[in-house]
Formats: sequence, C-alpha cells, structure tokens
Amino acid sequence: MSRSLPITSVLATSGVVLLVAAGFRATAQNPKPTPPPPGQKIYLAQCAGCHGDKGQGGAGYARPLRGTRSVKELAQYIHTQMPPGAKKTPAPQANLVAAFVHDAFYSPVAQDRNRPARVELARLTVKQFRNAVADLVGDFRPVVPAGDARGLTGSYFKGNNFQGGKEMDRNDGKVDFDFGPNPPVPGKFDPLNFSMIWQGSVMAPDTGDYEFVVRSNHAIRLSVNGEKPIIDAWVKSGNDTEFRGSIHLLGGRAYPIRLDFSKGTQGVDDKDKRKGTPSPPAFVSLLWKRPGRVAEVIPNRSLFPQVVPVTFVADAPFPADDRSIGYERGNTVSKEWDDATTAAALETAGYIANNLTQISGVPENAPDRKEKLRARCRSFVERAFRRPLTPAQEQRFVNRQFEAAPNVETAVKRVVILTLKSPQFLYRELRPGTPDSYFNAAQLSFGLWDSLPDPELQRAAAAGQLVTREQVAAQADRMANDPRAWNKMRDFLLLWLKVDEIKDIVKNTKRYPEMDAAAGSDLRTSLEIFLEKTAWSNESSYRDLMLSPTQYLNGRLAKVYGQNLPADAPFQPVQMDPGQRMGVLGNPYLLSRFAYLENSSPIHRGVLIIRSMLGRTLLPPPAAFTPLSASLHPNLTTRERVSLQTKPAACSGCHGLINPLGFTLEKFDAIGRLRTSENGKSVDASGRYISKSGAAVKFSGAPALAEYLADSEEAHAAITEKLFQHLVKQPVLAYGPNMLPQLENSFRQNRYSLRKLMGEIMVATVLADMNKSTKKAVAMGATQ
Amino acid sequence: MSFQPTRRDFLRNFGVSAAALPFISHLPSLATIGKGLRKKRLVIIFTPDGIVPNTFWPDEVGANFKLKSILEPLAPFQDRMLTLRGVSDRVRGDGDGHMRGIGCLLTGTELFPGNVQGGSDTPAGWSTGISIDQEIRNHLQKSLTTRTRFGSLEFGVMVPDHADTWTRMVYAGPNRPVAPIDDPYQMFGKLYGQMKDQETLKSVLDDLQADLATVKKQVGVQDRKLLDEHTTLVREMEKEISAARTTDVGHAVPTLEPGIRQENDNIPKISKLQIDLMVSSFLADAARVATLQYTNSVGQARMTWLGIKEGQHDLSHEPDSNKDAQDKLTKINRWYCEQLAYLAKRLAETPEPDGNGSLLDNTTIIWTNELGQGNSHTLDNIPFVVVGNGAGFKMGRALKYDNVPHNQLLLALAHSFDHRLKKFGNADFCGGGVLPGLT
Repeated sequence: MSRSLPITSVLATSGVVLLVAAGFRATAQNPKPTPPPPGQKIYLAQCAGCHGDKGQGGAGYARPLRGTRSVKELAQYIHTQMPPGAKKTPAPQANLVAAFVHDAFYSPVAQDRNRPARVELARLTVKQFRNAVADLVGDFRPVVPAGDARGLTGSYFKGNNFQGGKEMDRNDGKVDFDFGPNPPVPGKFDPLNFSMIWQGSVMAPDTGDYEFVVRSNHAIRLSVNGEKPIIDAWVKSGNDTEFRGSIHLLGGRAYPIRLDFSKGTQGVDDKDKRKGTPSPPAFVSLLWKRPGRVAEVIPNRSLFPQVVPVTFVADAPFPADDRSIGYERGNTVSKEWDDATTAAALETAGYIANNLTQISGVPENAPDRKEKLRARCRSFVERAFRRPLTPAQEQRFVNRQFEAAPNVETAVKRVVILTLKSPQFLYRELRPGTPDSYFNAAQLSFGLWDSLPDPELQRAAAAGQLVTREQVAAQADRMANDPRAWNKMRDFLLLWLKVDEIKDIVKNTKRYPEMDAAAGSDLRTSLEIFLEKTAWSNESSYRDLMLSPTQYLNGRLAKVYGQNLPADAPFQPVQMDPGQRMGVLGNPYLLSRFAYLENSSPIHRGVLIIRSMLGRTLLPPPAAFTPLSASLHPNLTTRERVSLQTKPAACSGCHGLINPLGFTLEKFDAIGRLRTSENGKSVDASGRYISKSGAAVKFSGAPALAEYLADSEEAHAAITEKLFQHLVKQPVLAYGPNMLPQLENSFRQNRYSLRKLMGEIMVATVLADMNKSTKKAVAMGATQ
Repeated sequence: MSFQPTRRDFLRNFGVSAAALPFISHLPSLATIGKGLRKKRLVIIFTPDGIVPNTFWPDEVGANFKLKSILEPLAPFQDRMLTLRGVSDRVRGDGDGHMRGIGCLLTGTELFPGNVQGGSDTPAGWSTGISIDQEIRNHLQKSLTTRTRFGSLEFGVMVPDHADTWTRMVYAGPNRPVAPIDDPYQMFGKLYGQMKDQETLKSVLDDLQADLATVKKQVGVQDRKLLDEHTTLVREMEKEISAARTTDVGHAVPTLEPGIRQENDNIPKISKLQIDLMVSSFLADAARVATLQYTNSVGQARMTWLGIKEGQHDLSHEPDSNKDAQDKLTKINRWYCEQLAYLAKRLAETPEPDGNGSLLDNTTIIWTNELGQGNSHTLDNIPFVVVGNGAGFKMGRALKYDNVPHNQLLLALAHSFDHRLKKFGNADFCGGGVLPGLT
C-alpha cells in the first residue's frame, strides 16, 4: 500500500481549508439592538469556554468556528459530538446553539458581515508579470497562429546542405520518418545526398522547461524561439543518435521552431567519390518532453505551419504566488520576489538593448535616432503603466534618463529597468477617483488574459470608449474568444480540479501492467483535450463538462479502457457508455490522480467533489493518517475499509460528508477503469449528499452524481465564485453581496457557458467599480 | 551541441540575486581563501596553417640560441622562453591533417567518425576527449584555493561563424567542443556585464524611490502597508549594491573602442582588445586558464596591414621553392609572434594584485599550431613555444626532441599545476611520461 499519498496531503495542501484560518480577522462587531437569540445564552455558558465568545477559538479548541455546514448539519454535529465526553447536548438545545452560531459567526455570510471584504491592492501575479513583459517587448502579437492548419512545412532539397535546389515543399503533420536507405520520395532524390528544413511554430501548453529531443543518424540542428540552435549536431560525430536541448517557455503561446536535416557529408565535396556506394539508412524524429511528461513525438495538434515571431521570455526564476485561499494572488511582497523582478528587469533591459534596432524599428544611422528612441521609450512606459504619462511622469521615467545617461543604449536600459521596477507597472491598477477607460481596459486584460491591454483595448481606452455596458461587453466578448482567454480558463480548470501540479501517474505495475510512464503521460493529454473540447468549444458549457459522454483516447489508452482503436491511433473522441461514465468525473486521468497505487480513493475523490465542485469547506483531519492497508483487510472492499477507518467520531463529522460522495465513483478502479466487483464482492456505488439548504439527495453511481452536479445551484455558485476569484484575484464579496447571485443568474441564462461567464464576470466587475465610485462621488457631494 | 549553459542555468547556478551581487570572485570568502599562494596560470595561443621551419626554429640547441625572423619579436623575453622542436602530434584516425591537427592538438586523442569531409582522408566529427586546458581548468575549479569565477576563458580572433572540426580546439569532453568568443564586446559583457548592470540599476534607484513615494500617496491607508514593505525592499537592494561596490573589481575596467566590426582588416584591433581583456581578467582573477584562437585550422586571414593580399591558407600550400610565398608566410607568423610578445609584455609589466611579482612570473604561455608545415600537412614538429614562468620550467633554452608524442607535453602542463596525471588522451602516446628536460 502506498504511503506516498497520505490522506493529509490532499486535505492539507488544499487552499480552501486555509480560507477558514486566513479569513479569520474578525474585529468589527456591530452590536445589535435586537434581543439576543436564544442560542446565545447556551453558547456563552457551555461552549464559549473552549471556543471563545465569538467562535474565534480559545484555550480548549484553538481553531475558529467557520464553515459551510447547514444549521441542521451543525445541530446534528453538536448533538452527537459536543461537548467532548460522555454527556452530549440534547437535540433542542443543540438546535438553538446551531442557529445562533451559524448566524453569528459560522456561516460565510456571517463571516462577511463581520469582516467586510474589500478590494485590496495587489501586485501582478508571476504569470501576469511574465505575460506582461513578453507582450511589452513583443508588441502584443497573437499568441497562437489563427486557423486550423497544423503540422510543419517541410522543404526538401535535392542535395545535402540544402544544395542542388529545392525539390518540394509539403506539410508534414509531425516529424517522425524512417527512410531506410531510400530518399524521401523515390526517384526524385539521390538516396546518398538530400536535406530538409522543417519550419513553423510549436505551441507550449504549460509554463516550464521544455526538453526537445531529436533522434537521427545524420546531421541535424534545431532552433526554438530564436536563431541560435538549442541542439546543434550538424557535425555528425560518433554513434550518438539522440540529441537533447532545453528551453524555458511561457505556457499558452506558440514559438518559432526550425529543424534542419542533412544526409551526406559537409566540408569538401566528395559526392563523386561516394557515387555508387551503398546508401546508409536515414531516420529523423522530433520529440519533446513537456514539463512533468515523458518524451513523445511532438504531436500534430501542437505544431503550426505558420512561423510566429520570437517571444522574449525572461528566465529569472520567481517565488510562487500565494495560493492559500485557493487562487493565485499578489497580496504579498518578499525579498525573493523583489530580487526576481530586478533580475527580470535587467534581463529585459539587456535583451532590448542588444536587439534595439529590431525592437524599436529605429535604424542605427537615423539622424534623429535619439529623439525617435525617446519617443519609443515613452510609448513603452505608457504601455507598461496602461495609461498616458503625466508631464511629471514623462520627466521622471523618460527625459531624465535620456539626459543623464552617457549614451542612448544606456538611456534605454535605464528607462526599461526603472519602468519594470516601478509600482505603476508591478501593481494592479491603483484605484483612481473614478475608473476611466484606461482603468477598465487594464481590468479586462488582466482579468481575461493575465496581461496588458492589447492595441485594440489601448485604442478603445484612448478614445474613452470603455464606459458603457455595451462598450465593455463588446470588448470582453472579443477577448473571451482569444486563445489567451482559453489559456486562463485552462489554468482555472486545472486548478479547480486540483491537478494544476503535474504529477507522474504511478501505479502498481503488477496490477496495472499497461499503466506505464507513457500511458500515464497520455492520460494527462486525455484530460487536457477533454477540457479544451468540452469546456471551450462554442456550444459547450459547464453542463457538458459534467455530462459529456465523450472521452479522448489514443490507441494506447483505448486498449487500457476497452475501446476499439488501432494501436497507433492519435487522440480522438470516443463515445463511452453514458450509463457508466460521464463528463469530467469519468475522465480516467482524474480518477487515476485521485487514487492510490492499487486502489481507488473515495476520500480523495469525495474531497474533490465537496470542495471544488460543491464549494464546501472542510477542516483538515485532526492528525495525519495512513490509510488502512488493503493487504491487512483482504476481505473488505475499499468502501468497507474506508468506512471502517473513518468510523471514529472524530472522523465521521467530515467523512460523513466526504465518503458518501466519493463512494459514488467506486465503480472506477485506481486507473479509472470500470469494475463491477472488488475482492469477490460486488461494488456498491451508492451515495448521498445533504445540501447547504439541508435537502438530502441519494444517488447511485457516477452518472447520477454527474447529473446532480450539473443541475445543482450550489455547484453553479461554487464554480462561478471560484472562476471570479481566478480572474479578478479578489474575493467576490468585495464587490457586494449581489455580485455572486447576479453572476449565477447570468450563468444560468447563458446556458452555463463558461466562456460567456468569463466575459460576464469581467463586465460585471468593471461596472461594479464604476457604480461604486459614482455612488461614492454622490455621497461625497452630499456631505459637502 | 546543447551543452552550453543557458541564461537560466546561469541564474540558477548563481542564485536569484545574481544580478544584485558583485563578481563572485570578489566575495570575501572566495577571495581570501587562496591568499599567499601563487596564482599559476596557463595561456594557449593557436595560430593556423603551419610555420616556416627555416625562419622559425633556432639552429642551436641549449641556452645559447639565436632567434630567427619569426621569433625575433620575443627577443625581450629570450631568457624567459623555450622552443620545443621535435614534439609531434602522433594521433591518427579519421579526419584530414588540418582536422586532426586542431582537434587532437590539445586533446591528444582521436576524432570520432563523422560527416565532416576534409581535402583528404576519411570524414570525421568532434574529438573523443577533453582538451588539456579544460582538464587543468576542472582541476583548479575543484579546489577552493584555486577556484575562480569562470575557471577558463576562451578567446578568439575572427573565428568563422560555423561550428566544425576545423574551428574548434577546446573540448569540455568527448563530443563537447567549446566555441571561443571572438567578439571583444561579448567578452566584455561576460566579464563586466553584471557590474555594468548594477551601475545602471543604481543610477535609477533615486527615481524609483521617488516614484514609490508618489504612488504611496495615491492609495488608501489599508493598502499602504504593502507599499511600505516594498519600499523597504528597494532600500535593502540599494544597501546591497553599495556594499557590493565597496569590494572593488581590483583594477581599472578597460574601456573598449566602440564599433569595431568583425572584419578581416580589423584583426589587429580585435587581437589587441582580446589580449587587453585577457590581462584584465587575470587581474580580476576571473580565470586561471585562457585560450586565444586566431581564425581556425585552414585559416584564411588576409594580412592586408602587412601588404599581403593572399589568404594565409592558400599561401601555406605553396612549395618551399616559392620564395615570395615563404617570405609572406614568415611575415604572417612573425605578426602572430608580435601578438604573443604583446601579451608577454603586458603580463610582464603588470604586477600581481597580491604583490607576488608580475603576472608573467606566474603565467605560462604556449604558442602552437595545428601543423608543422603547411605545404606538407605534417603533424611532426608541431610548433611549441613557451613564454613565462608560471610552470616552473627552466627557461631561456632551445630544446630538441626526437619525434616525441605531444601527449607528453600535455602531461607536463598538467603536472605543472600539480595535476599528476599518468596519461592524457591516447594512452599509447604517454608511455614516455612527462616530457623530459623541461625543469
């Protein structure tokens, strides 16, 4: 039994738990003139000794009383568990205490009342910083080529080293050729001497270090995102046939790629000498190892024949952003962060200075070079700050630097460093008196794209055309259809499913011999494609995410999951039996992640459902537990074993919620394959749930659960709120108590389209800011 | 090849604060450890296409020898030099004479079979072994007392911009050629870029502080805390930079004449810049090993500044009977010797920062070539001239050997750094042990 995945790892690393702790900053209490609720007296007399008079925690129990249980659940809990010891609270008193506690400080509403949320000043997250710098230097080019064309353009030359004329250009879906002793096309080439150039772009889905691998027994050279090769084996030397090179790439963007291949010798021409000699075999394959994945031939879907321009990627490593409350946000600064911004600023300045002519478009010999560069610098600062410069700012950020520096190169460097270190770049918009179009443009672009406003937003802002709902909505709509928006949604979905961190799928090889590293890596791909196709295509919605009967498999996975595909089939949609498997909770990667080496983990699965999908909070377990070993209980099913382990009263409070949800997925084993029996017993996949409103639901099996989640208002609210936080990086309650219900409503009206919800969230946020400031202005006017 | 460290590797290796730190070698911990020990250094200068034996090798053997035309520029250092005649590159295998000449020169071992076809013989690839300069570098970097920021620096002058067997002399290991840096501005950036960056950073700090103060006024009281913390961090950075600068780089940072392009006619200027940078790097103790590669094996420098219009390699194929060609080749090699003499002079004039004599007292320069003579492509009698007193050889002599493998000289270099190798490169050529008669 695995000990590498203790129960606590999932529970403790999840951010939502910490919300409870982090959210506890209650200070402001409004004394109520109404008579005290009847439960208060009992609470103060019998509970406050341990829990503190406001549930803030005390000597007996330090943890504050915060959570999402319904009054009924709470009452049941108090009745059966409180106080510790033999004598428990009788049900009538428990009901009164529960009602009081819930209303006074326990429920999220009470918490909000006690500590009004507000929009806090925040710096750019690391993702936002990196994207903003890339777009600032790169002048905001499209991140992914438009159109459906995939693969690379292969140019085939009749001689070695691109001599002898080009015979043909063609689209190659991927580079994975074994020519044997033959030429690429029989008859058209000398089998001894030919060469190719494959060019286009490669899309990097995740941010991280990519290792590119070229396998060939002839001369090869590979460049990615720049002219300088990351692999140079143009000199063939010795018997190595595998060559590797690494490069750091930002996720969600395409990068130029070029692979050169040449059969034959270089240097002095010896074609005549070699004429008539037997042709040696030739092969060439282009692979990559994405972050956390195994090496694979770069698939067709990741390659584009269009050559995109180079993207500047600052290499400086950053410390991770705070994620203690479930989403990345820039609420703190640290020495490491400050050092990283310095390193990135210097690196960016160096890159711009070294490529000044090309980036600025100002020729080196231009007579008015200095003035032109100064103007370019001013525009650079304006784009970085997302608004026009005041005369004082222009003086500080541009003119002074040009006057003080010994030469223009140094002046440009000084401007870049000062700008990228300035709080006006590093922080999200400082809140002006009244939000204007510039403010709104930046809200939209960081919200939907995690980057700066693009030229179109800049134009709209400059024209003051981002004020009305129609204007804002039109831009949000345009932006939500850009690949950058998908990238942000993709991040969200992976975070929501708690699989943003890429981990190896490691299973017991005796029990699951087919689940090797390559299949594990394929599984991740199956989820990634599922999410893109199911959550992002035009017609798709949250409901499809829950209910779609389609999964995406390749030949290797099809064999594992009992589907009929050729062994080398690429990923493609496969219809599964909707009576057995539906939506994302039927995705084999997800089911494998929330499982052990050999066995399923109803607890991990249940926690995912209850926290992410239903938005409930759970306390961490009172101590770290090692799961009961299956080998010690050979006659028990997983369900029985889990029930046995979580039976103690200290566990059952939470596990009474968790387990019955996780059990509904019990027909999927540790790799998400269907099973009907376990240890000789038939699998029981029945479960239940008591909603926040107290309604009890029973269901059996994964499809029933999926249908419940697809319809559940609780689930709709949960995903709406989490998406809001992911986009805006602020608590939704900071935008007033009506924001969430309003968004839920529009989510429903838009048939649960996630793409539309994304746009709606940003439109609502922008309008809320405008309204707030109008109200404030009116209020201030009234007092004057 | 993919073995060159990336910028990211650099930042990783040197930590997040790389940009805000002074020269690594000037951290007190590293700078003080080796105090009192002699800073032994090695410089290897490569020039191509063979020499003219008649105008190169002294006729005499021993301490009383007369410098001939090519070596005359070394007259001021005659008592601090050695000529080693009769040392031969005996390595055979794949590749033509030029390829093996440069590829086996410092590695003492064969080339891999490959796809680079020379004018004769079989095609070959890179060397199968590490070169002696990198071997010694690695040895020095292992010990805290001899470790330096870079360990070694690879200088070049007009090295063609393509990587092949003819353009690479230095190897970090089998199949791992190291490209020389032939752009002095790039070398300057490598040596002083961080320091210049810090100067630039420092120059904007006042404006940054002022900006932070302005911005702070625009946010509410509740948000000011974050900006206060940020302001403190910027102040800390300022202090760090000031502290770093109190440890001076130890010498005047050279100023480079701007705008010298990579062109044949600029070879003299580039050569001088690179030599000056090398001397500066020694003063900063940034490296104890350096190589300086003029063009490449089969190099085609056209020494128009000497009134020679033909390319060097074309001239080197002319027979001994072509007096005009041999005169020109003598002039060409004499010019190379002047570069060596300039380096020796700079090193001799420059005192060690620790007061341990001059830089030349602790530096050994080896001048060599991939061929004994161009027109025969012989690998026998490879030119080896030693200048300087770093290795502790007995200097001021013309030595003559009987066709000994050059691996024995490579061994001698390792031993002069207390790196007691028994063999280096192809072991078959190491039977004679360390080259005798040097000390």
